[in-house]
Amino acid sequence: MVTYVVRRLLWLPILLVAISMITFALGLYGPGDPVLVMLGQHANPEAAARVRHELGLDRPFLVQYADYVWKALHGDFGESLKYRGQPVGRLIAQRLWVSAQLNMAVLAIGIAVGIPLGIIAALRRNTWLDYLVVSLTVGGISLPTFVIAPILMWLLARQFRLLPSGGWEGIFSSRIIMPAMVLSTGPIAVFARQTRASMLEVIQQDYVRTARAKGLTERTVILGHVLRNALIPLFTIFGLMLGGLVTGTFITETIFGIPGIGRLALDAFFSRDYPVIMAGTLVVAIAYISANLLVDVGYSFIDPRIRYA
Amino acid sequence: MSRNRWLWIPITIVVVACLLVTCGGGSLFLWYQGEGLKFLEGATPPSELLPSIRPTPEAKPPARLGATLNLPGGEPPTLDPALTQDATSASYIVEIFSGLVTLNRDLEVVPDIAESWDLSDDGTTYTFHLRDDVKFHDGKPVTAQDLKYSIERACDPSTGSVVADTYLGDIVGAQAKLRGEADEVSGVLVVDDYTLEIAIDSPKAYFLSKLTYPTAFVVDQENVEGPVQPWTDKPNGTGPFRLAEYQLGLRIVLERNETYYGTPKPALERVNFMLAGGSPMTMYETGELDAVPVGLADIERVSDPSNPLNKELSITLPTLSIFYIGFNVQKPPFDDQKVRQAFNYAIDKDKYVEVVWKKMQLKAEGILPPGMPGYNENLQGYPYYPEKARQLIAESRYGDVSNLPEITLNVSGGGGAAARQVAAIVEMYKQNLGVDIAIQQTEWATYLWDLRAHRYQMFGLTAGWIADYPDPQDFLDILFHSESRNNDMEYSNPAVDRLLEEARGEQDFEKRMEIYQQAEEMILEDAPIVPLTHDADYWLTKPYVEGMIYPPAIIPKLKYVSISK
Repeated sequence: MVTYVVRRLLWLPILLVAISMITFALGLYGPGDPVLVMLGQHANPEAAARVRHELGLDRPFLVQYADYVWKALHGDFGESLKYRGQPVGRLIAQRLWVSAQLNMAVLAIGIAVGIPLGIIAALRRNTWLDYLVVSLTVGGISLPTFVIAPILMWLLARQFRLLPSGGWEGIFSSRIIMPAMVLSTGPIAVFARQTRASMLEVIQQDYVRTARAKGLTERTVILGHVLRNALIPLFTIFGLMLGGLVTGTFITETIFGIPGIGRLALDAFFSRDYPVIMAGTLVVAIAYISANLLVDVGYSFIDPRIRYA
Repeated sequence: MSRNRWLWIPITIVVVACLLVTCGGGSLFLWYQGEGLKFLEGATPPSELLPSIRPTPEAKPPARLGATLNLPGGEPPTLDPALTQDATSASYIVEIFSGLVTLNRDLEVVPDIAESWDLSDDGTTYTFHLRDDVKFHDGKPVTAQDLKYSIERACDPSTGSVVADTYLGDIVGAQAKLRGEADEVSGVLVVDDYTLEIAIDSPKAYFLSKLTYPTAFVVDQENVEGPVQPWTDKPNGTGPFRLAEYQLGLRIVLERNETYYGTPKPALERVNFMLAGGSPMTMYETGELDAVPVGLADIERVSDPSNPLNKELSITLPTLSIFYIGFNVQKPPFDDQKVRQAFNYAIDKDKYVEVVWKKMQLKAEGILPPGMPGYNENLQGYPYYPEKARQLIAESRYGDVSNLPEITLNVSGGGGAAARQVAAIVEMYKQNLGVDIAIQQTEWATYLWDLRAHRYQMFGLTAGWIADYPDPQDFLDILFHSESRNNDMEYSNPAVDRLLEEARGEQDFEKRMEIYQQAEEMILEDAPIVPLTHDADYWLTKPYVEGMIYPPAIIPKLKYVSISK
């Protein structure tokens, strides 16, 4: 087991180097130039060349890349090109934390609402309850956020003045309710559908019949046997969503005025803010790689059939 | 199977909800396309003519000292005056910092830290006499040495300013220092603690105007080189407000500077800028914000006189900007003047403004916008005259529309369908001239890249030009002089060049404006662009906010505002 984890971890630096090199190259060699964007409507090739030199953007690719890696290993992720002088580490950490809080809330809602809905749908299969859950979840995934968000905002913030219309004050304030509602339609749907499907599959297994035959209460059968086995595929989904904790959603953040990583990432792209793009990419890469590793290792604990040599 | 009919209930609910949203209410998207440029949403003014500023309340004695104003704000790329090149950063910086001169509400250059100045006979040396009561926010007095330091710093290549050339490049020795050839800007001389001499390379009547921009503002050396880095986290400025709090992406809070030297003294205690975005209109209606800009989605509602919000609407003079279509005059078919003129006659600007912008923007006859010194209200631009347009094509070397090469209109934009103003223009050319124009949208950074490399035949529309300082030189000289780097049209007319160069040094204001007006007419005759519209700002302001103005340039304005409730 330990060797397995170590082997997986050894891949981490290799993957990170590959990802960072590709991102770096795409930025440097792609069209668009951060200094031109800085200049905006002013065209001044001399100033552009001077500032490019000052920022070290005219050095050869490998020199820039090596310099970046060396500094990154020491915790210095450079300064933003768009937000001149702002350390990238601080910039990203702040926005990331906001998005992470929102995503945690969304994930929690997704699990807390989605799984029970899925269970109900599975147990009351082919009844109106089942159809209701299925169609609601399909509706939830299909309606885009930029449709749901304005409706909710108009309804809850403008018409009935129940909730504030946006802004951000942390995970425990009422400002998070609407954006979390909007964003959780996806996870709820995914968890509900997957729970329903897995449970339906497990319920047909022989050991469930045995359990019932043994005389166990239906509740014990469902919760103790069916659900536990149905959780395995759910765990996969959960793992992927864990990785997604550090991603942002540009549309929801814009509509509700949340200073999250989604807006920062898009801003960085449009202004060719290479340091921010690089740091953001690395963070997401590390998050997904780690989440995947956690899930794979976690499997061996929840499913006794899986063992790592 | 009989249970299936229950499925229709949830499905119907969802479908109806979708229809309600798409056909009703507005969702506000503020996609911005880079600093200094605006992607606009239009609105209908309450009357046919675009009115000038609603009566601006005079700066009465403050109704109530000590109150908080809540405004929406953009995230500033920087709070360092030397690095500022965009309107968002400038709007905060003019409140926190100040410089030798500033603009008053009529956009005239007036004294600020310098209480007076003399100009040498040859027009190249300014001697500024500084006030002796200017202090940094921490109480340190400001001297001429601080101003020299600030200018030197802005011209230092290691500071990395992209705009030092534009605003300070006229000063003797500034370019040399920027190129790394000199250690000092020789043209700036500290005569004594309160006297500063600045020498420029030739007489330039617009130089003082340039000094009103943040690049020349004073910063505190101990603050800049001090232990807090980035120093802009805790700036020690000289402006009417100090930076109390700056949470990136969330909020900027300004607090009154009790020791402000200027007039009027600020009445507001605090100003909160909400940076996170969200939906400003909703926040205005729930009372979370005290003033918000109005967009295309809401303007009809707000312009309706029966709507209570209508009383709170104010419209500013067109901001000093112009939106236009540019032609690269070196690329066929736009190397033929008659073709360019035909393209000018073929646009029905009244219809364009009405349909696309719901009359929210002002039609542009010429290049200089109303409110800009030198604006010519008698200027006759190109009227809508499709027959003449077609005739001109016939007279051109192409003879007929079918002989024209392929034309592509390049605009900055993204996503699916072209922006409505682009689609409208292309449609007008099709209907009035019979020309099929292909649209190519490019995302902002790539658009800039290709534009600067002069790859485009026909461009503009979604990106305009906004004044850096209120002087016609900033429009006519910078955009149309043959040697100007901002001349994306690659336009060159030696007669126009001569006029522009003459106007640079002309000290007599009236004469100077006349020269610019002459140049403007000549440029329009050559038709390197199709001037389309000048932008206007629409704002809603709560009735208890007094003294709020929306001037067409960035000036310190919060010191005029007070709250009475």
